[in-house]
Amino acid sequence: MLHEFSYIEPGSLSELLEFLAKYGPESAVFSGGTDLLISIRAGLEKPVYVVDLKKVPELQELNFGSKSGLSIGAAVNVNRVVEHEAVQSHYRILEIAGRELATFQLRNRATVIGNIVTASPCGDMSSPLLCLDAEVELLSASGSRSMLLKEFITGVKKTQIKPEEIVSKITVPTTFMDAAGGYEKLKRIKGHDLGVVAVTMIKTKKTMRVAVSSAAPTPVLLPDFVLDTPVAEIQKVAQAAISPIDDVRCTKEYRRFMVDIYIRRLLEEVQHERGAA
Amino acid sequence: MKSVKVTINGRLYEREVAEHKTLLRFLRDDLGLTGTKEGCGAGECGACMIIMNGVSVNSCMVLAAEANGAEIETVEGVGTNDELSALQDSFHRHHAVQCGFCTPGMIMTATDLLRRTPHPSREEIKDGIEGNFCRCTGYEQIIEAIEDVAGTEDSHA
Ligand code: FES
Ligand code: FES
Repeated sequence: MLHEFSYIEPGSLSELLEFLAKYGPESAVFSGGTDLLISIRAGLEKPVYVVDLKKVPELQELNFGSKSGLSIGAAVNVNRVVEHEAVQSHYRILEIAGRELATFQLRNRATVIGNIVTASPCGDMSSPLLCLDAEVELLSASGSRSMLLKEFITGVKKTQIKPEEIVSKITVPTTFMDAAGGYEKLKRIKGHDLGVVAVTMIKTKKTMRVAVSSAAPTPVLLPDFVLDTPVAEIQKVAQAAISPIDDVRCTKEYRRFMVDIYIRRLLEEVQHERGAA
Repeated sequence: MKSVKVTINGRLYEREVAEHKTLLRFLRDDLGLTGTKEGCGAGECGACMIIMNGVSVNSCMVLAAEANGAEIETVEGVGTNDELSALQDSFHRHHAVQCGFCTPGMIMTATDLLRRTPHPSREEIKDGIEGNFCRCTGYEQIIEAIEDVAGTEDSHA
């Protein structure tokens, strides 16, 4: 049984932001609920108000423009993104990583922005979005501010969001459009599971980018690599940038070991992928 | 409390519901629709699978209050004792049911899968039931039961 809370369902952005301006600290923002309901059930969060974003039309928007890039609203679930035509043709890495997130049915509920705001070191969406230079927009009754995703996530389950704010959308610029890419995630079982460690790699005509999750307090984006960087060099930079720990899922040594393996595998994969040149 | 109007298996229900109650508990405790099972209550096992507004979801991860205005299908609406759906019949014939606890969720997942992909490959079936745990059958019979329906006729389920 869940602890008691009131369910609030604002029908417009202004109603939502005014509510959070007053009751932000006692509120939990809710869309898919796939993280929130679990942490309420476990007694980790005890909000007085659970504020549903899904009835706010702007937050359901998912748009693509060849100049403006991709924009994903706060209430857009992962399946909508994964199945979106522009994502499949221009931002394939989001499709690949998105399909690794939980199960089909949970992806009908879980949102991309929820995955980001939860800021778990193993979130499936954060490392591909980091590689793509995604930007988050924060909204409150008193205004809006934007920042790179890289700056937004500050620690394990910590971000720059304030109680009266929501992340209204995430924008993916056109900089890395049509990049080749791959995502490798280590799991304990064949089916759906949280990532034990995961690596994203993308490659454009000029550069390669690599991000590693579950190997440091936040997902880590490595500095850009030139195209013919040898695998050993990328591995060296990655090993210096991560700081994995031992936990219930595996040891730090195993995490480090798998990061090297995945970098090698992904490098082979993106070299062969069409559309990269 | 919140008033909720919801259509379940074609029948309209109007109830007052506690705002922190999950849709799963509402179905089971308030409406007595106990076909939908609670395994983990945390989105991991799929025993609570239902179809809401045409989309399959884990009902332990949905609030009853959110279901206001929704159309819901549960295992009780899939067939009757006299007339099983093609999938139910196939599960029966293939011995895809042992203790039966996962079965309602499996049936709902497979029903939704065959609507989206009428002729799934074996791999697509395996992927499709990824979110439904079965502790008894080892999955083989379940996959075969779904394959049978997918291969022999269009799902009327
Ligand atoms: S009871 Fe809902 S997924 Fe297990
Ligand atoms: S038949 Fe027992 S859990 Fe599946």
